[in-house]
Amino acid sequence: MKRLITLCIGVIAAALIAACGSGASSGGSEKAGTTDPAKVKGDVRLIMEEVPDTDVIKSMLPAFKKKYPNVNVKIEAMPYDQMRDRIVSSFLASKPTYDLIIVDNPWMYDFAQGKFLEPLDKRIAASKGYDQSDFSEPLRNIANVKGKTYGVPFYNYGLSLVYRKDLYRQAGLQPPKTLGELKTAADKLNTGGRSGIAMQPQKGYKIFEEWANYLFAAGGSIQDSSGKVTLDSPEARKALQAYIDVYKSDAPKNSLNWAFDESIRSVSSDKSAQMISYNWTLPNVNKEGKLKGKFDIARVPGGKAVLGAWYWGLPANSATKDAAWSFVNWVTSKQQEKQRVIAGGAPVRNSALDDPQVWKKGFGKPYYQTVKGILGDSAPLANGPHAEEMINVVGEQLNAAVAGQKSVDEAISTAAKKAQETLDK
Amino acid sequence: MFKRIPIGLRFLAPLLVLLALVFAYPLGYSLYLSLTDKQVTSQEVNFVGVDQFTGLIHNSDYGVAMRNTLIFVFCAVAIELVLGLALALALQRQRRARDLTRSFLLTPMFVTPIAVGLMFRFLLNQQLGAIPEILGKLGITIDFFGPGLALATIVAIDVWQWTPFMVLLLLAGIESLPKQPFEAARVDGASAWMTFRRVTLPMLRPVIAIAVLLRALDAFKVFEYVFATTRGGPGNATETIQYQIYRTGFQFFRLGEAAAMAFVLVAVVLLLVTVLYRRILRQEATA
Amino acid sequence: MSAVGRLGAPARRAFLVLAALIVAFPYAWVVLAAFKDKAALNEPSKLSFSPTLANWREVVDGGVLGSAVTSLVVGLVTVAIALVVGTLGAYAISRFRTGGGATRFGILLSQLMPPAVMVVPLFLLAFDFNQRDTVQAVIVSHLTFVLPVATWFLIGFFDAVPREYEEQAMVDGYSRFGAFRRVVLPQVLPGIGAAGIFTFVLSWNDLFYALILAGGNTETLPVKIASYNTFRGVELGSMSAAILVSVVPVLIACFFVQRRLVRGISGGGLKS
Repeated sequence: MKRLITLCIGVIAAALIAACGSGASSGGSEKAGTTDPAKVKGDVRLIMEEVPDTDVIKSMLPAFKKKYPNVNVKIEAMPYDQMRDRIVSSFLASKPTYDLIIVDNPWMYDFAQGKFLEPLDKRIAASKGYDQSDFSEPLRNIANVKGKTYGVPFYNYGLSLVYRKDLYRQAGLQPPKTLGELKTAADKLNTGGRSGIAMQPQKGYKIFEEWANYLFAAGGSIQDSSGKVTLDSPEARKALQAYIDVYKSDAPKNSLNWAFDESIRSVSSDKSAQMISYNWTLPNVNKEGKLKGKFDIARVPGGKAVLGAWYWGLPANSATKDAAWSFVNWVTSKQQEKQRVIAGGAPVRNSALDDPQVWKKGFGKPYYQTVKGILGDSAPLANGPHAEEMINVVGEQLNAAVAGQKSVDEAISTAAKKAQETLDK
Repeated sequence: MFKRIPIGLRFLAPLLVLLALVFAYPLGYSLYLSLTDKQVTSQEVNFVGVDQFTGLIHNSDYGVAMRNTLIFVFCAVAIELVLGLALALALQRQRRARDLTRSFLLTPMFVTPIAVGLMFRFLLNQQLGAIPEILGKLGITIDFFGPGLALATIVAIDVWQWTPFMVLLLLAGIESLPKQPFEAARVDGASAWMTFRRVTLPMLRPVIAIAVLLRALDAFKVFEYVFATTRGGPGNATETIQYQIYRTGFQFFRLGEAAAMAFVLVAVVLLLVTVLYRRILRQEATA
Repeated sequence: MSAVGRLGAPARRAFLVLAALIVAFPYAWVVLAAFKDKAALNEPSKLSFSPTLANWREVVDGGVLGSAVTSLVVGLVTVAIALVVGTLGAYAISRFRTGGGATRFGILLSQLMPPAVMVVPLFLLAFDFNQRDTVQAVIVSHLTFVLPVATWFLIGFFDAVPREYEEQAMVDGYSRFGAFRRVVLPQVLPGIGAAGIFTFVLSWNDLFYALILAGGNTETLPVKIASYNTFRGVELGSMSAAILVSVVPVLIACFFVQRRLVRGISGGGLKS
C-alpha cells in the first residue's frame, strides 16, 4: 500500500513537471488583428473586479456589440482576492479560463516576466488613433516591462488630498503644499469632535500607499531608475517622522488598523476633516447627505503622488486574442474613453480630462484638471519583480514604527534592506 | 478473491478510496511543490530538495508567526474551555426557556468567520464602533487593535464564535454522566466545589480531551479574523501561520515555500497532539 | 448537583443572561445595519435613523437566496457522502483496529492541511475534468475536511457500543454486515446525526475552497458575504442583510435540532 502511494505521487509529480514545462510555448506569436469589425469573431471570457468601474464597462457592452456583432464579451466579476487567485490558476491551467484579464499594477512585472501576458506593441502600432502619448507617462511606464508594453490603462487610482472646502475656508487655509503645511492644517482642523485628518496606517499595502506620498513630498524615492531600492535615506526618515507626528496629533484615536473603508466613513460622517485617498472618491463623498458638495480634491503635498492603476492585459494562453484585443482597442479608444468617463469611470486618457463635454456632464473642469496633474506627476509603489511582496515588507516596518514597536531609524533601514532582498529573490 | 480481503479493510475500503481520490493528488502535488522553488510567476521549476524547509529555520517571520499562532491557539482554547464548561454547567440546570437559550447561545458558530471578522472590525472601531462608544461613556478607552492588545482581540473574536462549540460538546458530555457518583457525593456531604473537582471533572476528562483537540486543530487554521481586521499588524503582532501561508502562496506567488510552511505546521501540530494525548491517556489509566 | 448549580439559581441565571447579551450584541448591530441607508451606515453606532429596505432589495436581487440554496446543497451532499463512507470506515477502525492507532490520528491530521496549499491542485483538477464553477467541485473540496472529521467523530461512537451486542447478534445468525446494520448502526444513529450537523457547520462556513472553486451561479453564502468586502470599501448594509439571511434559518434549525444534537453527542461518541 505504502509503495503504491509513493508510486502514485511520483507519477503525478512527473506529469506535473511535464505539464508545467509545456505551458510556455504559446507566448511568442503576435500579430495585428483584422480591421473589419464584422470579421472578428469569438467569445471573450473577461475577468473583472466587482467595482463600479466594472459596472460602467458592463453598461458599454451593447454599444460594442453593435460595432462588433460577432464578438461576445462575457464578464465575470468577483472580489479582488478571488480574482487574483483565479487569474493565476488560469495561467497555470492547460487551457485558459480567461481570454482577457485586467491587471493591477503590482502584478504587471511578474505576469510579464512569467510570460503569462502577450506583448501588445505590434497591436498598438497597428491600431489607428491609439495615440500612446494621450496616456500620461507614469501610466505608460507601469505597463512597460523591459522595453515591451504588456497592458493598456483601464482606470487610475492615483492619490490626492480629499478635504473639506468649508472647513478650510473657515480656518483661512489653503490646500497644503508641503508636509509642514499639511501638519499645520491638520492641527488647526483638529477640534474636539472632529479629527484633523483620517489616516490608513493598516499594515501592508495601505500604510505604504499613504506614507509614500509623504516620502515623495520630503524629496525621497523608493527605487532609482535602475530599480535599486533607495529607501534608506534621511528623506525617508524625515517622512516617516512627519507621518507619525501627524498620526499622533491629528488622526482619530486608536486608528492603527484603519484602511480605506474606515477613513472614508470617518470623513463622510463629519468625524474627520480630510484624508489622503484616491481621486475618484470625491464624487462619492460629495454625492449625498448633509456634507453634499462640501469636499474638494487637491494634489498631495509636494505634488508628486502615488499612482495606482488597472490595465487591460491579454493572457498569452488566451483562446481568442484577436477578439479580445478588438474589445480592448475599442473600449480604450479616445471616443469610448470619453463615454466611459462621462458614465463615471475613473479616467486615464488626457484627451478625456481636457474635454469640455466631460467637464460639463461630469464633475467640472477643476476636478479633471487636478486629476490630470496627478497622473502626470506620480509614481507607483514598486517597479520590478515581487512588487506585491516588496510593498508588504515595507508596509510591515512602517506600521511597526507607527505602533511604536520600532524606532523610525530601525524601521526605515530594515524596510530598505528587506525590500532589496525581496527584489533580488 | 474478495473473501480473502480482511473484513476490516472491506469496511474501510470506501473511505480509503475516497480519501485517496480527494487527497492523494493535492497532497502529492503540495509535497512535490515543497521540494521545488516553484513560483507562480515563473515557468522555471527547479528541484531544490529540502532547501525550502531549511530556509524556514532562518526565516524569522515564520518563527514569529508560529509563536503567535501557538499563543493564539493556547489562549483561545483555554478561555473557550473554561467559559464553555461554566456555560454548560449553567445550561444543564436551566429550565426556563431552555431550548431557546441553548439554541441562541449556539448560533455564533454558524456565522461564516469572515463575516464575524468584519463585524468586529467595525464594532470595535474607536471612532465608528458601538463598543468603544459604550466604554467611552464609562470613561474607558481601549485600543483594541493597538500594539499590546491586537492578538488578545483576535482571541476574543475567536472566543465569541467558538465557545458555543465547547458548550455543545461539554453539555452533551455532562448530560451523559451517570447519576450515582453525584448522589454518593451528596450523601457524603461534599461541597459543590469538591463535587465539581472530584466527581464532575474527572468523569468529564475524555470529553474535554476531545473538545480541546477538535477546537485546537481548528484554531490552528485561524485566518479570516486576521485578514478582516489587522492584516497581521501592528508590526507582526498578529501574524499567524495560515495568513502567512496564504500570502506567501497566493499573494507573493511562491507556492513551493508556502507548501513547505504547511508541512512544517502539520509536523509541529502532530508532535503537540502526540505528546498531549499520551499524557491524557496516561492520566486516564492512573485515574 | 454541580458547582455552578449550587451557587444558586439567581447567579446562574445572571451568568446566562450575560452570555446571551454578549452573543446578542453583535447581532443587534447587524440587524440595525441591515436597515440603514448609506449615510447612516457611516455612523455604525447610531441608533436613530430612518429604516430602508434598500439593502434587502440589493441582497435579494444579488442572488443571496440562490447562494443560500447552493450552500445548503453543498452541505447536505457533502455530509451525506461523508456519513455513509465515514460510518463504514469508522466501524472498521473502531472494531478491527484496521491500520492501527496511526489511522485515527492520520485521519484527523489530514484536516490540518492549510486550504491555501490544497486549493491550487484541486483547482487544476477541477479544471482538467471541466468541473470548474460547479457544485461538484466544491463538494469534493469540502470532502477533504469533512470526511476526516466525520470519521473521527464516528470512531468514538462505535467505540462506545459494547462488542457483546454484535457478538450476540452473530450468534443469533446475523452475518457480519447484518449485525452491523441491524444492531450496531441503530445504536450510533444519534451520534451520526450529531456528526452530520457538526460537519455541516464546517461546510456551511467554508470560504477558502468555495472562493476559488465556485463562482457565478454556484457562489456559496460565505463567498457572497465576502464579496461585500470590496476594494472600494465594505458594503456594511448588504453584508448585514446577508448575514441575517444566513443566521436566521440556522437559529430556527438549531431550536428544533439542538435537543437531539446534545443527546446525540452524549450518546457515547465522546468517549474516545
